[in-house]
Amino acid sequence: MTALAAGVLAAGAAAAPARAQVVIGTAGPTSNAEALFGTTWMNGMELAIRQANDAGGVGGQKLSLQRQDDQGDPKQGTLIAQRFCDDRAVLAVIADFNSGVTIPASDVYNRCGMPQVTNSSNPRITTFGYKNLFRPMANDFMQGGAPAEYALNTMHAKTAAVVHDKQAFGQGVAEVFRTDFTKGGGKVTSFSGVTATDVDFTALLTTIKGENPDLVYFGGTMPGAALFLKQMRELGIKAGFFGADPLFLKDFITNSGEGNAQGAIVSFQSPPYDSSEDLKQFADTYKKAFNADPGPYSAYGYLEAQIIIEAMKRAAKPLARSGIVTEIAKTDMDTLMGHIAFQPNGEVTHPILFLYQVKGDDFHLLK
Amino acid sequence: MTSETQSRIAAARLRWPRPHRGLLLLAVPALAGALAPLLAAYPLRIFDLVLIYAILGMGLNIVIGYAGLLDLGFVAFYAIGAYTYALLASGQFGIHLPFLAVLPIGGALAGFAGVLLGIPVLRLRGDYLAMVTLGFGEIVRILLNNLDILTNGPQGVTRIDPPVLFGFALTSPLHFVYLLLAMATLVFAAAWRLETSALGLAWAAVREDQDAARGCGIDATRAKLFAFGTSATIGGLAGVVFAAMQLFVSPESFTFWESLVVVLVIVVGGLGNLFGVILGATLMMVVPELLRAYEDYRLLLYGLALVIVILLRPEGLLPRRYGPGWLFARLPTRLGAR
Amino acid sequence: MTGFLVQQLVNALTVGAIYALIALGYTMVYGVLRLINFAHSELFTTGAYVGAALYLILGAAGHPALAVLAGLATFCIVGALGVGIEAVAYRPLRRGSRLAPMLSALGVAIVIQNTVMLVAGKRPLHFPSFLPGGFFDVLGAVVTVKQIVVFAVAVLLMTALELLVNRTALGVRVRAVSESIPTAALVGIDPNRTISVIFLIGPGLGAVAGILYASYYGVATFTMGFVVGLKAFTAAILGGIGSIPGAMLGGFLLGLLETFGTGLLPILSGGTVGTEYRDVFAFAALVLVLTFRPAGLLGEQVGEEAMVYKRDF
Repeated sequence: MTALAAGVLAAGAAAAPARAQVVIGTAGPTSNAEALFGTTWMNGMELAIRQANDAGGVGGQKLSLQRQDDQGDPKQGTLIAQRFCDDRAVLAVIADFNSGVTIPASDVYNRCGMPQVTNSSNPRITTFGYKNLFRPMANDFMQGGAPAEYALNTMHAKTAAVVHDKQAFGQGVAEVFRTDFTKGGGKVTSFSGVTATDVDFTALLTTIKGENPDLVYFGGTMPGAALFLKQMRELGIKAGFFGADPLFLKDFITNSGEGNAQGAIVSFQSPPYDSSEDLKQFADTYKKAFNADPGPYSAYGYLEAQIIIEAMKRAAKPLARSGIVTEIAKTDMDTLMGHIAFQPNGEVTHPILFLYQVKGDDFHLLK
Repeated sequence: MTSETQSRIAAARLRWPRPHRGLLLLAVPALAGALAPLLAAYPLRIFDLVLIYAILGMGLNIVIGYAGLLDLGFVAFYAIGAYTYALLASGQFGIHLPFLAVLPIGGALAGFAGVLLGIPVLRLRGDYLAMVTLGFGEIVRILLNNLDILTNGPQGVTRIDPPVLFGFALTSPLHFVYLLLAMATLVFAAAWRLETSALGLAWAAVREDQDAARGCGIDATRAKLFAFGTSATIGGLAGVVFAAMQLFVSPESFTFWESLVVVLVIVVGGLGNLFGVILGATLMMVVPELLRAYEDYRLLLYGLALVIVILLRPEGLLPRRYGPGWLFARLPTRLGAR
Repeated sequence: MTGFLVQQLVNALTVGAIYALIALGYTMVYGVLRLINFAHSELFTTGAYVGAALYLILGAAGHPALAVLAGLATFCIVGALGVGIEAVAYRPLRRGSRLAPMLSALGVAIVIQNTVMLVAGKRPLHFPSFLPGGFFDVLGAVVTVKQIVVFAVAVLLMTALELLVNRTALGVRVRAVSESIPTAALVGIDPNRTISVIFLIGPGLGAVAGILYASYYGVATFTMGFVVGLKAFTAAILGGIGSIPGAMLGGFLLGLLETFGTGLLPILSGGTVGTEYRDVFAFAALVLVLTFRPAGLLGEQVGEEAMVYKRDF
């Protein structure tokens, strides 16, 4: 038992960090099917932090980013949240990426008063009344609504089959689509759930084939979405395919098989990198820093870190979590994605959303 | 000193009750409890995990170590306990029962499930038993994942109430260390009493040779059912505390892998040996944390540890014979006696 | 309706064929060693990855002959791995308690799965297609060439195995050793060599199943073995563990049960029970079969005394 005590004390000594730097924590999926999203998102943050450090840091102190891999798993997310909370050097977090992780993790962050800026889109996240939680991007009311509107008014679709993966994000966005599509006069032929880790959707797809819908809306993530689409086309279902932001990956196009993804429509919160001067410049800086093209969410990572850094600059010194929360709430700045300011519930005042269509081997802006 | 004083002192000594050697048992958790406040929050969380897995290990030890039945679905009982607390003390249904009320409910439900599992597998042996228990564990997890209306599915149950004991809310890892130390001590004492009781002997007999045991008039059926029931109850209790600690439960926390970790705790630490279980829990939780830089290799090391221990030291690091019995035998029954 | 049923039937047979191939590995090993080879599911995964690697190395895209060669090579490589595992992790434990070899198998399974993860990464792998594309329309259902090939290859291998076990001298040795190791030794059969052969063939078949599975679905992950393995094991139990025809029957049966179950259950239950209960079928079947008829469909009904006498548990 003494050995146990000694061991744990040693671990304790090793774990207590020296408070030389201001740490911003971040948690996201960096090793599973969404690894590309997570890693490039964090790289965007890194870029903002490096620039801030080059300009002298905040209040004379340098910033550092502590990356954690939550594998899109709510259990990991809450453990990481507890760790960040325990670590007194972490003064703000940008977490999480997946809605299913953010929802439970936000409880933990709220309890320790940690300023939290999130990249997750489920609308429920801002309904808890957490004053420390901020979301600088469009939520799923837009993500589910925009495709429904497009399908009804531009494609003149009448029927849709909706499938979701029972996760917080997938089910959430699927439900929004269903509500909006029905409100607009469309008919939802079926609303089915699959398990996120399924590989074989043929049983469900056979049933959907019988329904003959004009389009299929898939509320889910990779890798399931690609497999679903592949099997859908292989079964001969010609209906249009709609999906949400986790599908905005090259992998989606390749993994769904030769040509199967053509015409699929995916919603995403950021415009293409060549659509404005600022974004082009950002893409260049990113490329020089990381030797690769920026990822889908790199720009958001960058601006999320910016929001925190600006708040830290304005906050009372010595820096404290509560002070940073107050300042983030007062954010009123221009960023790569336009003007960012927060409503009292943490949502952003002017959310933006875009629809992309797969043409060839890439996504092209639709509207 | 005069001889009269000496005899007075000797007589006085005889009158004071000597502490039973079992009280030594309390010295260790008392010491741990006294040292705990010196640790930072993060090591305390690890300590909490060690204690939880020690409790789980002591529970599973009854089935695998004492009765010799390979249960690979232990996580099911852990899950039942955890979800009981999650559903009865959170915003999910708006029920907010106090912790001390849910604790016995969770334990009882889990124990009931344990007996329920025990009944159909009574006739099975060895591998078949292992597979059925594994299947049971997975079925429970899948049901938890899919019965959305009840359990909120893969999204899990959030905003669980922190436990409140006599008006005092347990929120920090330190509080839980004390709660868990108390629980672990109680479970240890209970398991030790069971091991040395007639039931424990029956288990040992069933483990060694079930048919010979039956031949000696031991009711193997009753013994097995008791084994499943008690171990499941302990698992359920640990589950309740786990939910109260993490304040969030999801089916992902209760996979087959978790069952395996508990099996590993027992097998590596020492099968059938309560000290071994504690050692196993400590190793399995602390070592990976010390090697957190090599996080990716953690499971690989677990697997290698299992194979190596099985091949080289199949009884585990602390074999059965070096258990509490061995320790207590080396002490006089009453401490302080001449 | 015919289209729907035929489609589900085709889906079921394809998936069932894969389960059957994997089940054979479990049943052969169990038949002789009374050991549930937990590592088998991971050898399935390894087969898929090794197959993918060989495919790329040989540049087999568009060359079916090279694809077949890659498949054969994978069979041999993973088979050799199986032989190695048996020698290192199972043979020393052959005497003694039944718990030890099973735990050793678990340990080996964990080691293999994580080695695959460390080598190949956690991201799902886009699997090169060993199987040709194209499809037919049969009675309103779409039957892809892939499905036909998977089914055909599986049936071919199973037939080959049946012939091997029943018509060759090696098969006699395998059957003898499955019956009783000491007696076989008495008659002059080297149990170790025969067991090695079993560990070559079983995992080899599993590896080929891995390639077929990954080609069919187009993706491979390092965790793919666990659930599929458990289902295949259920199939082996369903058909009667230790019985080779039983494993084949069990595989197809489970495929049918699972596919029709998930296909029909939502219709029958009006949507309350959905397709996400797919995996429950396998586990529920496992528990039910083991509880009520542990010998399975084609296994011999061995009474408890005989089990004890033969130390069959």
